[in-house]
This record gives sequence, C-alpha cells and structure tokens, in this order.
Amino acid sequence: MFDTNRFIEEKVKELQDRIKGKTIIGASGGVDSTASAVLLSRVIGSNLLCVLVDTGYMRKNEVEKNQQVLRKLGLNVLVIDAKERFCQRLKGVIDPEQKRKIIGEEFIRVFEEVARKENAKHFVQGTIAPDWIESGGGLRDKIKSHHNVGGLPEKVEFEIVEPLRDLYKDEVRMVGKALGLPVELYERQPFPGPGLAVRILGEATADNARVVREACAIVEEEIERAVAAGEMSKPWQYFAVLLPCKAVGVHGDVRVYGRVVVVRAVESIDGMSAAYSKIPHKVLEQISIRITNILKDDVTRVVFDITNKPPGTIEYE
Amino acid sequence: MSRPVRVYVVDNGGQWTHRIWRVVREIGCATKIIPNTTPVSEIDADALVLSGGAPRVAWESPKLGNCIEYLDHFNGPILGECLGMQLMAIHFGGSAGPAEIPEYGLSKMKVIEEDDLFKGLPKEFSVWESHNDEVKQAPNFAVLSMSENCKVQAIKHLKKPFYGIQFHPEVNNTEHGEDILRNFVSTVKL
Repeated sequence: MFDTNRFIEEKVKELQDRIKGKTIIGASGGVDSTASAVLLSRVIGSNLLCVLVDTGYMRKNEVEKNQQVLRKLGLNVLVIDAKERFCQRLKGVIDPEQKRKIIGEEFIRVFEEVARKENAKHFVQGTIAPDWIESGGGLRDKIKSHHNVGGLPEKVEFEIVEPLRDLYKDEVRMVGKALGLPVELYERQPFPGPGLAVRILGEATADNARVVREACAIVEEEIERAVAAGEMSKPWQYFAVLLPCKAVGVHGDVRVYGRVVVVRAVESIDGMSAAYSKIPHKVLEQISIRITNILKDDVTRVVFDITNKPPGTIEYE
Repeated sequence: MSRPVRVYVVDNGGQWTHRIWRVVREIGCATKIIPNTTPVSEIDADALVLSGGAPRVAWESPKLGNCIEYLDHFNGPILGECLGMQLMAIHFGGSAGPAEIPEYGLSKMKVIEEDDLFKGLPKEFSVWESHNDEVKQAPNFAVLSMSENCKVQAIKHLKKPFYGIQFHPEVNNTEHGEDILRNFVSTVKL
C-alpha cells in the first residue's frame, strides 16, 4: 500500500536539500498544486509564493474562491490577471494540441516574470503521473500535451520542481488529507490546467468561454444537488463541453439555430481509465432544461456522452 | 522474514506501464520500471511483466528492444501484456496482427481454463481493453480466456512459466485485476 506519511517525510527531506530561498509555485487551487504548496511551505515556510493565474478560462467565481482557500491555509498568494494575453494568443487557434502548447508556454512566461521580480530560482508545479504519461516521449505515444509537461517551452528560466510527479490522483488526495487540506478541497473533482479553453471545441473566444462556463456551473450545481439528495453517487469528474456545431430548435413557435452542449461525467480512480457515469435521467433532464433555458440565446441542444476511456479520453481536447 | 518478490515492469511505451508498476508495488512486490533495452544480464528480477505499447506488432517489433532476449534467456515467469503477449505468441511459432474488431474500453471476458492466472475467480467478468492488434494463433500455448470479439484473451505456454494477456488487469475498471496480477506473482518460486 501507498504509505502517505512516509511519502511526506521523504519528500520534505528531499526538498530541504534541494530548495533554498524564495520559491514560486503555480497554484490553481486544485488538489495537486495545493498539496504541493502545503508540502513546500513545510520546507521553506513564508519563502513560498503561490501564483494564481487568472487565464480567463477558469470556472464561475473560481479565482476568488480559490485564492481564499489558499490564504486560509496560511499561504502567500499573488493573483495575476492574464485574461487578455491568453485570449489574444488563442485567437484563431482551433487545433487542440496547438491550444495546449500555447497555454503551457503562456503560463511559463507569466511565472518567469514573477520569478524575475521575486528573484526565485525554483518553480514548483503540481504535475502528477498522468500528466507526463499522456504527454508522451520516447516510445510512448502522445495522447495530449498536458500544459505543464508537453506544453512546456524548450527554454525556461528556472529549475522546475515536481514533488508529486509519481503519484496518481487518488494518492494525491491521500497526501492532501494527511497535510490537513479541507475535505472539499482534497475531494474536489479534477479540472484541467488549460481550463475551459479545452472544453470549447474550436476557437476559445471570450464569448465561447462565457457559454461553457455557465453550462459547466449548471452541470456542477445539478449533479451536486442530486448527490446531496441521495439520488446518485458523486462522479469522479463532471462538466460541460461546447461543440463547434449548431442544431435547429424551436422557441415559442420560432425557429432557432444554436450551439450544442455535451454533458460529460465519468467514474474513475486515477483518470487513466474511466467509465461514463450512469446519471439518472431525471438529473440529466434537469441539466438539459436549465442549460437550454438559461443559455437560450446560445444553446439549443444538450447531449450526454456515453463513451468510456478508452476509447475516449475524459476531456475533449 | 523472506525477501519480497522482485517483479520488474519492462516498458514498451504503454499508457498503463506506470499503472502496472503501481499495482505490483501495492501487492507487496519489490518493483521498478526498466527500459526494454536493458540487457538481460543486468536484470536481477524474479519475474517480468512486458508492458503493452503503441508500436504495432506486425511491423514495428524492433521498437520492442530486448524483449525477445528476455523470452529466450530470462530465468523466471514472464507475463506479456497486450503487445507483450502478441510478441510472445509470434516468437513461439504463432501469429498476431490487426484485429478484425479491435476492443477499446469495456469487454466481457469468459474464462476457458482457470490455470494459475484465474485461480479462484468467476468464469465471466468485465475487463478493460485497448488494442488494435490481436493474437491469431498461439500453437505452443493453451488459450485460457476469450471475449466475443477477441478469441485469445489469455494464454499460458505449454512448457515454460510464460503467460500472456490481451486485457489490462492494472487499470482500475478491470474486475479482479489485482487478483490476476497476484496470481501471476505467486507462480514465482523463490
């Protein structure tokens, strides 16, 4: 079995030898980076600065919520508003791999700017096993470039440190729990680093981000409500995806022609294989009604994804 | 106390190589992932697992490094997974190639012969698959299990302690996966 306390002890020792002085960490507020941050703070204390980048592709109210969570854990937090620059760089980009590479590079450029100002030699990130496995290399085929591995530019100005690199999500959750993270954090569903940009198939414009952000919020709210009411168990991950196509509908006797949103939810332990969630129809129906009503000017149709991994992946790009 | 069994995972570039390493570790073995180019003389393991991988068995076998050498000279049980099994079948006189109906994700598997691998397990259970190729013929092996679209899901060499499986016991969605790997490890004689 995975020995959580031994892992933490060994990592702290290893990091004590490796890291001195001011260090920055890319902190999204998710379990991987937050567990890494708390681990690091045990080694270098207030010399650690958490940099939370607002890419413009975060979920509803997430930037505010996540920085509060990090501060509550006693961490130093710097929020960088990079909405404009990410959106600019993604203009006209529709290829999923190109998107991920641009986002990976832009993240690093932001972190380099902070590191220069702070005179930090080390940059920590919450990379976990599936990130480098799926990013490929050597004999291994590339499934997708995770922004923090396959999306890294060739030259970076600092030394990258990844304390959780060999762990899977379920192990990270155990480490997070042992490090004293609140339960809603260590049990939080995964969210990809490139954010909503990879849940928009096609160009990740600010307007598309608005639509998928609202759809994701509805999926989360409805599923969490159903879970709390005992109507279903909590899926491993659950979200909405905006497709790059349109479908006909009818609103009050008038023809409409709008976008299609996918509801995706899966059961997994570590993200390396997954079965689609058997969500009750009642819950799916409620999701569909709310999305097509609240987003009436954008979305005419909601579909449910019934693909396992493999052959699908969990996210769409 | 006796030492833990050493089971090394030979990396043929599979998405789930690291998963195999993790499950083997969890069932109490001493384990590490080794490149498939490791010379057999440098391997001090009691048993080997040959991982799957992206290379296609019919025309990319050079990418499988020293796997053939392990089949000829490694002294101990070997479990070939997916691509690893296909290579094993070919090396011992059989054949493998593109599947007519490849399997991805969920598949129902029927056990034909329990042998070592399926000891104590149900006769039918769900397994997770991810393969473009399959074993067509394996003359020096007994076929231990099958699924609707893949007639050779598991094999056992008639004389050597060599096993092959097309499905993936190391992924969480496969039922009884850990038991299968434990059964394999228990074929090791220290």
